[in-house]
Amino acid sequence: METAIALSGVVKTFGNVRALDGLDLNVNRHEILGLLGPNGSGKTTLIRVIAGLLKTNAGEVRVLGSRMPNRRIAAKMGYMTQLAALYEDLTVRDNLVFFGRLYGLPKAEARKRAEEVTGLVSLRDKLDVPVRFLSGGTRQRANLAAALVHGPEILLLDEPTVGVDPKLRRGLWEHLYRLNAEGATIIVSTHIMDEAERCHRVAMIEQGKVIAVDASVELLARTGTANMEDAFLAFSEGKAAGAEEGMR
Amino acid sequence: MNMGRVFAIAGRIVTQFRRDKRTLGLIVLVPLLVMALMGYLISDDKEPIKAAFIQLDQGMESPLGRISLGDQLYRELGKQKGLTLVTYHTVAEAEKDVRHGKIQGAILIPAGLTNHLLSQEGGELSLIVKGTDQGTERIIQMSLAKALPVLARNKPGGAAGQSQIGIKITALLVKKSLTNIDYYAPVLIVGFAFFLIFLLTSISFLRERSSGTMERLSASPVTRVEVMLGYLLGFLVFALIQTLVVLGYAVWVLHAEVAGSILLVLAVLTLMVIGVVNLGITLSFLARNELQVIQFIPIIIVPQIFLGGLIWPLETLHPAFRYLAQFFPITHAVAALREIMLGGAGFADIQGRFYALLAFAVLMILFGAGTLRKQQG
Repeated sequence: METAIALSGVVKTFGNVRALDGLDLNVNRHEILGLLGPNGSGKTTLIRVIAGLLKTNAGEVRVLGSRMPNRRIAAKMGYMTQLAALYEDLTVRDNLVFFGRLYGLPKAEARKRAEEVTGLVSLRDKLDVPVRFLSGGTRQRANLAAALVHGPEILLLDEPTVGVDPKLRRGLWEHLYRLNAEGATIIVSTHIMDEAERCHRVAMIEQGKVIAVDASVELLARTGTANMEDAFLAFSEGKAAGAEEGMR
Repeated sequence: MNMGRVFAIAGRIVTQFRRDKRTLGLIVLVPLLVMALMGYLISDDKEPIKAAFIQLDQGMESPLGRISLGDQLYRELGKQKGLTLVTYHTVAEAEKDVRHGKIQGAILIPAGLTNHLLSQEGGELSLIVKGTDQGTERIIQMSLAKALPVLARNKPGGAAGQSQIGIKITALLVKKSLTNIDYYAPVLIVGFAFFLIFLLTSISFLRERSSGTMERLSASPVTRVEVMLGYLLGFLVFALIQTLVVLGYAVWVLHAEVAGSILLVLAVLTLMVIGVVNLGITLSFLARNELQVIQFIPIIIVPQIFLGGLIWPLETLHPAFRYLAQFFPITHAVAALREIMLGGAGFADIQGRFYALLAFAVLMILFGAGTLRKQQG
């Protein structure tokens, strides 16, 4: 299988805190990989490192074969931050056109794409509403649209479903599957254990390290547990069968 | 009403500010700084300004000895605290130094003044000034006003009054007689532009960080230079609109003088705005919220207004302050605008100011770029 993202021995420290502590991870092309871990385990740092936003202290980060940070590669990635990072006074359309143009789309193309992606996340009717008038859920969809507007090959989503109601969460996942079917590689972080089961593979992260990575059914089978929460605890305490193998 | 709740709110406010050391420091330091500066600026304890004294009057022989009113005036003016006299021999030489700002004015005692005055014909002495610096001109005029009555009293033949001694003022650079409006219009234009652009840039950059859009910009292929140029162009539009409004009001409603080129005025302001946009970017990085941006105002703007020669002439300030003022962009912008608007100066006349603003802009761009680099961890 083709590798989209490869991290080896990545260390990132903030002062005394080792946010990433010798982390290894491979992400395959066209897969949906879930990053599962409690708050503060290093998920956001990992995503930011992949996005080329942080310089690492040690190790190597390669995306589509190139070392990050790299502007050419950055243009092929879409990054959805935890908070809805949009300009409050601009309308949804203004925001989308702006971000499209930042990624190098010509103005007319950016306008066309803005309409396309709002269709994709069912936001067509909110196109000309200033972002400050949007409710939490619609805001999050607009946020996703902003990460999609330039048609990225790789999508980095940092806790996209935080504070989102169940109906909308299901909707968001439908969008992700559709994008994935069209060829996008998607990395999505979450601290909600059950949500991880929706991903093709799950990387469990604790204290800046990957403690296991596999398909969720495999993770359950290897630990002999019934749910992801128990599986996570089992890997965390080193009780799982073939835990070392999971490091790969 | 429950006083417990009232005290809970009051207590919370006190605790919040106790935790916010920067605000606490400013509450104490800002008034002290402002009062210390004000106290100094309005005191008489200032540096004297320099003026040329050109004596062309030979005086007059009398039974009591030679009388020279020029010499008497020289002595009287010498007693004035605000003024230092430098003797010049020719008018041309003095005019040249006035033009270049080496001296702030020249007092000319014309030939035959003593004769004319003593023979009750009346006479006139000449004051030559640049014309673009009201502050220093006022000091020379006030010194003359104090010295002349003494002269009249000393005149043999009784108190004929000083009315006989007139002062003819020649402004070298300025054609019409200037009003306060003319003099302060450049201050308003520069002050508004600096203040508005500083506030707008630092707050919108702060929002860019706190709303997470900065993160999104950094993740995109956009470069630092592109971000800086974009900000610059965006804010330049507003700076220019504002400048045109302020300038338009000053010219058409207040009838302020614009002797020189409007384009040169805009060029000077553009250069300053480039610096200020980057200053805003840099300082927004040091602020956590809007309140802390506002707190930069007394530190960034007040000293420039007080010590930049806007109200109190630079020449009267302590040498240390004068030196400091050379690092203030507002000093150079206002001086350049005064020379252009009041004195009709061209680029050659204000190059020094222009390059000082250029240096400010370049320095701030470097700081701004450094800030953005830091932003990217």
